Amino acid sequence: MNSLPLPTVQKVLVVEDDPDIQKVIRMSLRHGGVNDVVLTGDGRECLAAVNRVRPDLILLDVSMPHLDGYQTCVLLKANPETKSIPVIFLTAKVQAQEAEIGMQSGALGYLSKPFDPLTLHEQILALLAKGAARGNP
Amino acid sequence: MNDSSSTSILDSLTSGILAVDLDSRVLFVSAALCRRLGIDRDAWLGKPAAGLFGPANPRISAKRSALYRLDPRRDGPKSEYREIEWSDGNRIVHLREDSSPLYDQAGQLTGRLFAYHDLSWEKTIDQMKSEFISVASHELRTPMTSIKGSVDLILGGCVGEVSSEALELLEVAHSACDRMIRLINNILDLSKIEAGQIQLNLEWIDLAIVVERSLRSLNALAGQAGIKLKQNFPNGLPPVEADRDRIEQVITNLVSNAIKFSPANGEVEICLSADNGWIRCSVSDQGCGIAEKDLSRIFGKFQQAGLPQRGAGTGLGLAITYALVTEHKGKIWAESRIGEGSRFVFCLPVAVRREA
Repeated sequence: MNSLPLPTVQKVLVVEDDPDIQKVIRMSLRHGGVNDVVLTGDGRECLAAVNRVRPDLILLDVSMPHLDGYQTCVLLKANPETKSIPVIFLTAKVQAQEAEIGMQSGALGYLSKPFDPLTLHEQILALLAKGAARGNP
Repeated sequence: MNDSSSTSILDSLTSGILAVDLDSRVLFVSAALCRRLGIDRDAWLGKPAAGLFGPANPRISAKRSALYRLDPRRDGPKSEYREIEWSDGNRIVHLREDSSPLYDQAGQLTGRLFAYHDLSWEKTIDQMKSEFISVASHELRTPMTSIKGSVDLILGGCVGEVSSEALELLEVAHSACDRMIRLINNILDLSKIEAGQIQLNLEWIDLAIVVERSLRSLNALAGQAGIKLKQNFPNGLPPVEADRDRIEQVITNLVSNAIKFSPANGEVEICLSADNGWIRCSVSDQGCGIAEKDLSRIFGKFQQAGLPQRGAGTGLGLAITYALVTEHKGKIWAESRIGEGSRFVFCLPVAVRREA
């Protein structure tokens, strides 16, 4: 029986408008062994950077200026160049209907803030493994 | 005062008034209710009142429908008030219905009297409150993410060793962060329940299984506190129609409270029983007890009747518990005496299962 390869993440594009939370996410990912973290402050910056960065994963906030996370995810998934990059929301929008909007926009998973910075990397890998088992990015 | 001036007074009320006889036929309907329902008063006198509200609307549950209480014989001498929903064909209108028995001058029950008050403004305010709480919850989470994240990273050793004193203080900050997050979650949860915005996923559940699941999740907490969790369930309890997760939340709240208020080496007992159309669940502790004067207020927000032996709550757990049980058409109360422990009891109705 063929088993699916374990997911790995080496480069993450973080889309987060709060500089303090950016620092916590970066340090948290480093704690999990991901040293290549690119920080952007909103959806527009993310879309401008994504083709250059070619990340293994996009960690996306929802409430941001210029272009919010939901719209950003829809645009990423509509673009053949970026649609295969897994997107995971990391947001303070924690209500069920908000998570549903996030998932409908094409995300792989939805993580709530405040998050556990010591297990963020494991949670991401678990979502990637779940997505791989379902056969979608 | 003659009949004509009584009618003028009732017609001047902005709330709608309806009087029905014992056979639920219209005795009187006020001008305001005629306007709301778009009916002609004279045409409806003596007609069955159920027709006044038009056909049943599939978007409105039977129990929230205006037709539910239109049975004076069944309701007898009870006075009731409840929120109802009525569709004017385009939108759902929220009304508060006050109903009371109607007696003649000899004191004989002759029918039932209903007053309908428009709750649109209250619903708008409720909606605004919910939106405010939702935004506030989001805005509070953002700085909490930075604080908790930073503290957790330091505690997790990500920035090197810290002194034992600093570690102790960081543990205090960590615990306060967790409490603040629980508080934010509880405020959001309670506001949704109070605004009627939670959707119960009703299914037929065996309460014993739900209690066992809840106790499994609390075993570690009880073990740390040296508290024994004792369960007493008879076999063959009938199922109840309830939201499994929400009822587990109710049980977890009650049992974790009992653990918090119990002395070390104490015992918390959870009993289930069937009782005259209800399934009853009680949670008893051996804590300091609650004064009688406090029993009625402990289900209010930010109320606490004593100091817990361990851990601190958010002050909203019992308010959420009360709201969830009520949302299930259940009943909840507390029994206690100072120095003799407390027993929290909730009951859920055993509904008759309808075969598909």
